[in-house]
Amino acid sequence: MKFTPKQLDENVNVSKTHPLVELLWLIGGLALIAGSVFFLLGVTTDWAAKKTPVRVESWLGNLAINEFPAEESPALQQRLDALLAVTPEGSPLHDYHFKIYRVETEDVNALALPGGRIVVFDGLLEQVESENELAMILAHELGHFAHRDHLRGLGRGLGLAVASILFLGEDNSASDLISKSLLTFQVKYSQDQESAADQFGVDLLTARYGHAGGATTFFARLAEDAGSKIPYVLASHPHPDNRIDALNERIEQKSYTIEKTLPVAKDLLLPQ
Amino acid sequence: MEILLQNFDMIMFLTLMVIGYGMGTWAEKRHYRSIEQREKELIKLAVVTAEGSFPDGKVADSTLVSGSVVISIDYFKRLLAILRNIFGGRVKSYESLVDRARREAILRMKEQAKEQGAGMIINMRLETATIGRSANKKKRVGSIEAFAYGTAIVMNKT
Repeated sequence: MKFTPKQLDENVNVSKTHPLVELLWLIGGLALIAGSVFFLLGVTTDWAAKKTPVRVESWLGNLAINEFPAEESPALQQRLDALLAVTPEGSPLHDYHFKIYRVETEDVNALALPGGRIVVFDGLLEQVESENELAMILAHELGHFAHRDHLRGLGRGLGLAVASILFLGEDNSASDLISKSLLTFQVKYSQDQESAADQFGVDLLTARYGHAGGATTFFARLAEDAGSKIPYVLASHPHPDNRIDALNERIEQKSYTIEKTLPVAKDLLLPQ
Repeated sequence: MEILLQNFDMIMFLTLMVIGYGMGTWAEKRHYRSIEQREKELIKLAVVTAEGSFPDGKVADSTLVSGSVVISIDYFKRLLAILRNIFGGRVKSYESLVDRARREAILRMKEQAKEQGAGMIINMRLETATIGRSANKKKRVGSIEAFAYGTAIVMNKT
């Protein structure tokens, strides 16, 4: 037998597919799967949040509040009760037993925790310049409860984390990638929730004081500090300017009037 | 600026991906050019996997020759492989990597045999190994080793 050396032109061991084409197919397939899982998850948790009895939610909330170094505030409670008194009949808010807490931190923020607990930070109270503004903020938080937002957010986040760990394993770069890209949608969702809570807030504020004065002034002050709109693309809350625009639109649409606001009463002034 | 900092690891990931693709493609093309050219030069040196038997007095010398090479995957290839893990199917991105490693190892073995004046290599075998047990674990980039060895035969001049 004679040995004849021959160079092969074809290489059967390497596929001809261009790597970028393959990447496109794989990413496309993954996006489709992740998207449909996320969508189904969203629909299910929204449905489940609506159906969850307030009793179950309160039990959840009891677990959460123990982690918070907060004290109940009678002064704030009184204002909250006044708002609840004007809440339309049949609203899910009447099922709650609301408690309001004050926390001594500089953050300008307020939180709605599951089970009818509202936490207001001192930093926010320092910024508030009228009773109406404070009522607007409390009404905004009540809006979150009325829409069951805290439960929905919890459900989606939790569901997403569980699904990605189940399918892809805990320690996987692909699950990192998925959660990061889906969080962008989550953010949009949460901005929508904030806007809806704003709308609820301005309605309740008007019911309480008979006019919508103070609805936008607090955000206007925030807007001065907020600066550029670009970082807000990915923030959980809309830019204050956008919130003011949306509120003004609502005020015009419902033809609410704007009258003089009441200064903050003495019982809420911070000890100097 | 803030938005860049907030999404730092996402940007890091994309950068590594682009670098991985760019550099990986460039290195692979260059390597294949070199492999093809050297294969042409060494084509006269026969390599067979058969044991081979020779008439008495024909073989002057026989020695063990070996060639090994380690090739690293890049981030882009790894991403493709990770995505493949979800759907199943051929991991095409690693095919060229293993192909390059095998051919390079054989070439190095042939170069060693040529230095010794061998006319052919018999009984050639190939081994592959992954370097680092973490090769497929998170955030690690693994490498592949290909190792070729065989018996170089120096023929008697007749």
